[in-house]
Amino acid sequence: MRSPSGDRFAVALLALVLAAVASCGPIIENAPFSVRPDALQPGDLLGPFDGVVLDAETERPIAGVTVFGSWGFERGIGVQGPAGMRELSVETAADGRYQIPTPEDLPGGGSMRLRRFTLVVYRRGYVAYRSDFKFNGDARHDFSQHGNKVRLEKWHSSYQHRHHLAFVGGGKAIAKAAAWEIQPASLEYEGVAAPTMVETATGQAGAVSVQMLDASPLLSVEEVRGVTGFAGEFEVGRLMDHVRSDVYDSRHFKAKGKPEAFDVGLRVWFPGSVAAEEQFHKLTAELPAAVATEEIGDRSLRAHGGDVLGLAFLLREKGIVVQLSCGASQCTDAGMILRLAKLVESHMGELHLPAEKATPGTKTQGKDTP
Amino acid sequence: MTSVTFPSRLGFQGRLVVLALALACASPNTAFAWDAATTHAGMTKRALAASRFHAVLAHQLGRPLGILEPLRLDLGTLDPDTARLLKDRLALLDPAGGYRPSADDVATSGAWVEAGAVLSMTPPERVRNHFFNPGTGRGLDDGPGLSGTVHAVRLVLDEGGATVRDAATGQAFSLDGMSALAWIEARQNDQGLIAFLDGLERSVSAGQPRERETALVRSLLALGGMVAVLEDAGQPAFVRNDFRGEFLAQGAGSAFERYVADRYGAVALPPAAHAMARPDLASFFAASDGKGLAQTTQQRFFSPGTLPDDFDIGAGDTSAVADSLANQSLKFPLPKVAGVDVAASGRTRYVKQDGRRVLAYQRNGNRLHFFLDQTVYADTARQWLPEVEAYAAGMVDYLLRGKVEIAVADHSATFTVAGLSGALETGAALHVFSERADGSRQEIAVRPLATGASVVVDVPHDAKKLAAFVRSRDGGGPLFAVGEKSLVVIAAD
Repeated sequence: MRSPSGDRFAVALLALVLAAVASCGPIIENAPFSVRPDALQPGDLLGPFDGVVLDAETERPIAGVTVFGSWGFERGIGVQGPAGMRELSVETAADGRYQIPTPEDLPGGGSMRLRRFTLVVYRRGYVAYRSDFKFNGDARHDFSQHGNKVRLEKWHSSYQHRHHLAFVGGGKAIAKAAAWEIQPASLEYEGVAAPTMVETATGQAGAVSVQMLDASPLLSVEEVRGVTGFAGEFEVGRLMDHVRSDVYDSRHFKAKGKPEAFDVGLRVWFPGSVAAEEQFHKLTAELPAAVATEEIGDRSLRAHGGDVLGLAFLLREKGIVVQLSCGASQCTDAGMILRLAKLVESHMGELHLPAEKATPGTKTQGKDTP
Repeated sequence: MTSVTFPSRLGFQGRLVVLALALACASPNTAFAWDAATTHAGMTKRALAASRFHAVLAHQLGRPLGILEPLRLDLGTLDPDTARLLKDRLALLDPAGGYRPSADDVATSGAWVEAGAVLSMTPPERVRNHFFNPGTGRGLDDGPGLSGTVHAVRLVLDEGGATVRDAATGQAFSLDGMSALAWIEARQNDQGLIAFLDGLERSVSAGQPRERETALVRSLLALGGMVAVLEDAGQPAFVRNDFRGEFLAQGAGSAFERYVADRYGAVALPPAAHAMARPDLASFFAASDGKGLAQTTQQRFFSPGTLPDDFDIGAGDTSAVADSLANQSLKFPLPKVAGVDVAASGRTRYVKQDGRRVLAYQRNGNRLHFFLDQTVYADTARQWLPEVEAYAAGMVDYLLRGKVEIAVADHSATFTVAGLSGALETGAALHVFSERADGSRQEIAVRPLATGASVVVDVPHDAKKLAAFVRSRDGGGPLFAVGEKSLVVIAAD
């Protein structure tokens, strides 16, 4: 039989031990990087970190680049699991330099340990930089705690955004900066397009802009009125279900003060000849009550759902797919939507294409930006 | 063998304290089941990419961006305890891998699955239920005698690992656990099959969009949890009942898993081989055809605690004799040791299988010593990681195999179930939902459904979208078939 006093002593002693263990700070593991580029001495996982971000081609500093650092903590005996993190993001200064201080309020107790520090550098138009691995999967050996040089390589059209997003990782700041890649990456998963985006201006190192597809010349308010006889007003904007990019644009002719059945929608995809065929096939499968009609373009279809009529057609050689939607109160007979489609087709020569390309995913001479 | 004796006057709690004091001063061993934050997350990412996951999300679940669809976990729709626990666990994740949700609990659908794989080891003691011996169907049972108690006590000392009461009542991790397969199917597993199916069902049936989105997130977390359990069946120690040898004996934890984590991180793992199709859930682990992942892993690879015992070579012993002696001490029949070179001395040599180095050995004097080194780890990882990912991709495809196809004509919709593995269970029912312009949904029909049959339902005049599911069983086991169809051609601003 156990004595009550012995039990109390044991519990008190155990509590003391637990308190002592819980008050310990984290174990800091050995850093896999050096303290400086020219030193063999290992760096400190806790930091601080500093360096400069350069354009790999010109060696010029790049300002305004998102630099994200995160510390990953783990805990466990026998088996370890995630046990906390600290993160911090900064932007490079005008001279391309960044500084990331040591984190505060570190988690501690028991087997808590700082397992890794990861630096991610992101700038649109370039391949992202990670301190642990390169985009091609090779381990990175040139990262250092101080005086680190991040040489960002320009994005190339042969790269895939879905692979890039998987590589980037990172926290809130990186997710925000890279959010625009979701749309083209999703298209790549669909097998629809590997977007090519052309650099149009390089005033300063790293200052690039993207040419977006512009569908505005394809159909005007006056043309819609001319076909349908609608006397009311339209608010003209873009449809919101897909994000505009270099391969996609839309127009939404929203009838002012009228229900949706008076609206007209236009969607245009310019993914290249092969992917355009696939996009048309996708529309055939997805649009409600889709029926092949072969009345315009190389292939066409009609669809209807609720109070809305649909018509889509493929221009194979140009690598363009057009989808028109017209509310039944606007297009009061079936011929109206076809006439709208013919008008769109007639304006194809005026379409502002970001670059002439037949097959997406192939390398081009232009500098590309993701 | 080391023995520990206690002063006779100490009771159980006194012994616990002595152990605690002894162990508190020791630096903790560190080890990793496939490192959760890097290897599990990375393998799961590659498995998703090799599976139909994107297509199912984009074309069956009404999430047009598929694997990249941003989804929000609305903790306000969950009961407070569940919400708090989930938030606490998610807060531990490292953002470097890209799967940690944002401050407002948004992540892409693929990231939620990866997060689920990581959470399956958060806290790390959950890994006790990831073991599976395909020969016996049992889980971890590697804590005979005092070692299990010692481990439990060490966890008591480790903040959050277990409580004193857990240790005292045997609830703490004492080197035993449920089998991986039983754990996947266990009701108490919040990342198991039941949680997955329940979440999917609510992601279709819940009345409000944010409830459906949150249910889908919870389903994806469960999917990641199951995928991670299967991925662990590709780690030799987990299918050779070898926790102590792999994780505790070496002092610095699993050298193999550390090698994989450092070599490949979360973003540089090799892509998956072609998704592995299997007939049912259990067969991903073990089956009569011998092609379950746990079976093939156990038969091809050694783990540190299941190596051949070292022995002395006699003067006239040949290679065949050395092979025979080595094989006599094996705990599992495969892999066999073959082709040991007894002539060499002082050099590391390797036992090869199919061109892959599976075991290292050295002859020092008359002593033949067997071990695993970085060369073995490199060959193992290079060959095996794509295969493990392929099994994981196959499991994703298996779990998402069912599809409800919806065809709309005039004012009626026809529903057909596709992707079945054999016949649908008798009594299966199709649930049809209508979604209005404000995103709210209500069930408009429940119809019995037989294999190959179609169901026709009138479409309500205010319907903007139709959704349907069948939760039943087919020849492959539990089934959830789902489909959605938008009825709107123009999207409103």
